[in-house]
Amino acid sequence: MNTTHRTRRTRRRTAKAVLAGALALLLAATGCSSKADDGDKGGEAADGVRTGPGVGADTIRLGALTDLTGPYATLGKSIVQAQQMWAEETNAKGGICDRTVEIVVKDHGYDVQKAVTAYADIAPDVVALPQVIGSPVVAALLDDIERDKVLTFPQAWAASLLGRDAVQVLGTTYDVDMIAAVEFLTRTKGLKKGDTIGHVHFEGDYGANALEGSTWAARKAGLKVTGQKIKATDTDLSAQVSALRKEGVKAVLISAGPAQTASLVGVAASRGLKVPVVSSAPGFAPQLMKTPAAPALAAMLSIVSAAPAVSSDLPGVKDMVASYRKKYPDSPVDSGVLSGYNAAQLMGADLKKACEAGGLTREDVVKAHRAQTNADTGLGTPQNFSDVDRPASVETYVLKPDAEAVGGVVNAEDAHAAPGVEEYLSAR
Amino acid sequence: MSDRLPAALTRRRASLPLLAVALCLPPFYLDAFWLRIGLFSMAAAIGAVGLALLSGTAGQLSLGHAFFLAVGAYGYAWLAGEPGPGLPPALAALLAVLLAGAAGGLFSPVAARVKGVYLGIATLALVFLGHHVLLTADSVTGGFNGRSVPPLTLGGFAFARSDPEPTVLGVPFGAEERLWYLGLALFAFTWFTARGLLRSRPGRALAALRDSETAASVMGVDVARHRSAAFVVSSMYAGLAGVLLALAFRRVVPDYFSLALSVDYLAMIVIGGLGSVAGATAGAVFVTALPLLMTRYADQLPLVTAPGSAEGAVGPTEAARYLYGAAIVLVLLYAPDGLHGLARRARDRVRRRRSRAPAPDAVVPPPSQPTAARTKEHTP
Amino acid sequence: MTTLLDNILGGLALGAVYALVALGFVVIFKASGVLNFAHGSLLLLGGYLTAVLHDDLGFAGALALAVLVTAALAGALDRFLLQRGGQDAHSAHVQTIVTIGIDIVLLTDLSRRIGGDLLSLGDPWGDAVTELGPVTVADSRLAAIVVSAVVIGAVFALFRFTSWGLSLRAAAEDLEAAALMGVRLGRVRAGAWCLAGALAALAAVFLAAFPAPGLERTTGQIALNAFPAAILGGLASPAGALAGSLIIGLTEAFVVGYQSELHVLGEGFGDVAPYAVMLMVLLVRPTGLFGAKGAARV
Repeated sequence: MNTTHRTRRTRRRTAKAVLAGALALLLAATGCSSKADDGDKGGEAADGVRTGPGVGADTIRLGALTDLTGPYATLGKSIVQAQQMWAEETNAKGGICDRTVEIVVKDHGYDVQKAVTAYADIAPDVVALPQVIGSPVVAALLDDIERDKVLTFPQAWAASLLGRDAVQVLGTTYDVDMIAAVEFLTRTKGLKKGDTIGHVHFEGDYGANALEGSTWAARKAGLKVTGQKIKATDTDLSAQVSALRKEGVKAVLISAGPAQTASLVGVAASRGLKVPVVSSAPGFAPQLMKTPAAPALAAMLSIVSAAPAVSSDLPGVKDMVASYRKKYPDSPVDSGVLSGYNAAQLMGADLKKACEAGGLTREDVVKAHRAQTNADTGLGTPQNFSDVDRPASVETYVLKPDAEAVGGVVNAEDAHAAPGVEEYLSAR
Repeated sequence: MSDRLPAALTRRRASLPLLAVALCLPPFYLDAFWLRIGLFSMAAAIGAVGLALLSGTAGQLSLGHAFFLAVGAYGYAWLAGEPGPGLPPALAALLAVLLAGAAGGLFSPVAARVKGVYLGIATLALVFLGHHVLLTADSVTGGFNGRSVPPLTLGGFAFARSDPEPTVLGVPFGAEERLWYLGLALFAFTWFTARGLLRSRPGRALAALRDSETAASVMGVDVARHRSAAFVVSSMYAGLAGVLLALAFRRVVPDYFSLALSVDYLAMIVIGGLGSVAGATAGAVFVTALPLLMTRYADQLPLVTAPGSAEGAVGPTEAARYLYGAAIVLVLLYAPDGLHGLARRARDRVRRRRSRAPAPDAVVPPPSQPTAARTKEHTP
Repeated sequence: MTTLLDNILGGLALGAVYALVALGFVVIFKASGVLNFAHGSLLLLGGYLTAVLHDDLGFAGALALAVLVTAALAGALDRFLLQRGGQDAHSAHVQTIVTIGIDIVLLTDLSRRIGGDLLSLGDPWGDAVTELGPVTVADSRLAAIVVSAVVIGAVFALFRFTSWGLSLRAAAEDLEAAALMGVRLGRVRAGAWCLAGALAALAAVFLAAFPAPGLERTTGQIALNAFPAAILGGLASPAGALAGSLIIGLTEAFVVGYQSELHVLGEGFGDVAPYAVMLMVLLVRPTGLFGAKGAARV
């Protein structure tokens, strides 16, 4: 017992000593903590340009939060490669603002927690984010992005992302596309007052926003919309097709993923429900044209998209596709390549403009971006970024699947604004 | 034996303040990336301790933990925010925890009757139903995009970034730095209350229930009542973890509270070692921090290429997933009693070696305890 | 009327596929007390092997090989990884988590190989359909019903009439007694895992065939829908798995088919409905429809 007492007393004494020592160490050591002298990051570089996070004397660092291992792996890879290609091309031409451009890529695999941590990791060292994939990821980061004023181009097109200074949805939003889709159906497929349209859509932002557009346009045209909500894991749409057939639909809109589009069209064709189907842009991938549903897709499907087909003969698109195929001969050329490259070019234009105005801080970049009223990269329609509450463009292309073409699609109709869009936007 | 126990206790007592000081240090050195990992780990630890009480002690399996985390997180965001009642954040946090407990209570007709794996899958239903409600009840949950989480304020001190950023000893104190200490405080609270609970009368009753339902009820334990009570308490810890998670995320989104999250929590308590608070904590850190760190540093490994560089190569995220999966398998193969058991055996081995060395006032070497001695467990 | 028949047939076909998966869960649970979280990846593996081999071996050959390989892998996983943990109930918990680790490794590798592709399995039915009176059914779905019925019948016979089945049932009843009676637990268990693996590989074919567009990386997630099916019937009862699967299949088909009438429950309820049904059943019968009464009398 005696020993125990003594040990206990000495232990207590050592505990106190340890505590005091540790506190002293803490006080002394924070003096040399690297965080302590991290205070001023901004300033003015030697060439007189105001700099902030992510901009050094001879580099500009951009960030990409992408999905290379999750459900959007194919899209993510296309965008990453296209943007890396842009960075190399830009640097070969002397860079931007006499600085080389560098893109820091972080793969979050569609996991919100990983993405939020990755953001905390790269945010202090990048000036802007030309790529953020995954609607839940974008949603989780919205507040942080606004707070840090990092100009961000999300690869998501829901109207709920509008109205934020630092977040820019490129091109049209899903609802605008769907208004164009309904207009396309009434104009070319002979739908008339009183007909019913089915709209199969994902749960969540993407589907809800698309449904909003189709419902509005249908009401204007005197049509009725019957919605069918599905999940990303539903790949057999037999039951949905049965329900649509019961409703006697004359056309079907779909705002889901490629697998769902293939199943819907395949099942509808086999059940004799031979009606036109119009998909939102994310609902198609070139891989679909290698599935058994390919003939049915070619016969029934159209796609509404803010971007032209990669097989389009716009000179900018042709050049880009040619250099992409040279650089990545094994990778498919899909719409992700185009949208990624386009986003990078727009980002480059913003940076150049900010540099001309004398500053490359995050605030400067956002300001330069919002001053662009007619940004034209030659890869589609020009965009206007000055109004944060309005989609950057309201012009929609209509595409058709074509197994022979690059990227599996060809242009069916050139970009045009559907007649009701302005009214819709002012009513919203 | 009588000597060993106090000695071990005092050794622990001596290391406790040291540990506390060590845990207070990181905000002075590490940047937001590390602090966020720490915050997520602390929140996970709180939730895992709750689940450990339920599964390890009461022998009930729950895959519905993500649902109760969501109740806590969304409850706080709604109660303290706009639209919502806009209560003072501290009160909202307290009410959110109670709300999670109430949700657990509502489920008790099932929790009291259904056992083991059946309860596991039954609680799985909660995750799916909850996710459905989170997406559908837009006005409360904000739908798919979720909602912003108002920062917690305590007596005028906000756990969020403020302008200008105050500095402590020259280190700027932003949201993560402040939340770190909140997380520590909440974790300490969890640690001590849960340990107290395990040693209390109801805690022993639950352990008896796990070992044999029949024997326990013979001894006068009210089976159904104790089962549902364990479920409610476990939900409240989950609610607390949810509040901390919400504060760390600053925005809650429905997709985070998925089945995968529930499975993660189950993995935490088993990897940590069923039925111990320290084990659940270790498991929580393992499951939360390891994938994040591996993803961050996997590109340093040989054969791993930078993200998106080459065709068919193994990227850092994939490498991290391989390693993480393999780590789970290996830990459990070589230490079926989890990290807690592994640590205990390592400690015993060190102690045995030390006592073999000539030491004047060495304590009597402990009779080598059968460390893996487990009471006969319930059938799942 | 047509819609009703449509939904019934669709539900039965779906239920038949779920039954193959749910039966796998049940067989494994009965033999080892483990809830196999890696079942989805085993299913994906079976599908992937069929998809890459069918060009060289033809559909039947590819499927046969895929079934064999998946079965062998499942058995090997049990024999060399899980069984090291022991046979008692506590280790069943631990082994359940080990299957999560296995699932992560397998799924990561298969996802990496599949990428964003939609793989065709080369099945003989294509997008052909059959008219049955007023309703149209995909041939692949009819095949699913027939194959499931035959396979499930065979599994029942295996349970009932072979010595392996007897050993399995004895082991499930009382592990120690069975071991004392000379049942070689390790082999019986591994056999059950092989069987479950084979069933998973077979199910993959029908999950990727026509009404679905092909095999993709998320196909394995469908195994989750078989969870409520297996529990609903009673986890230790093969007959229960069958009944539970049909109930879940029909529920899903009906809720989706009549979605417009059911919109009070919120759109997209179809994916949640199986769990709601399961909860209700568990409230009344805590161990499922066919589960043994577990409550001890004092």
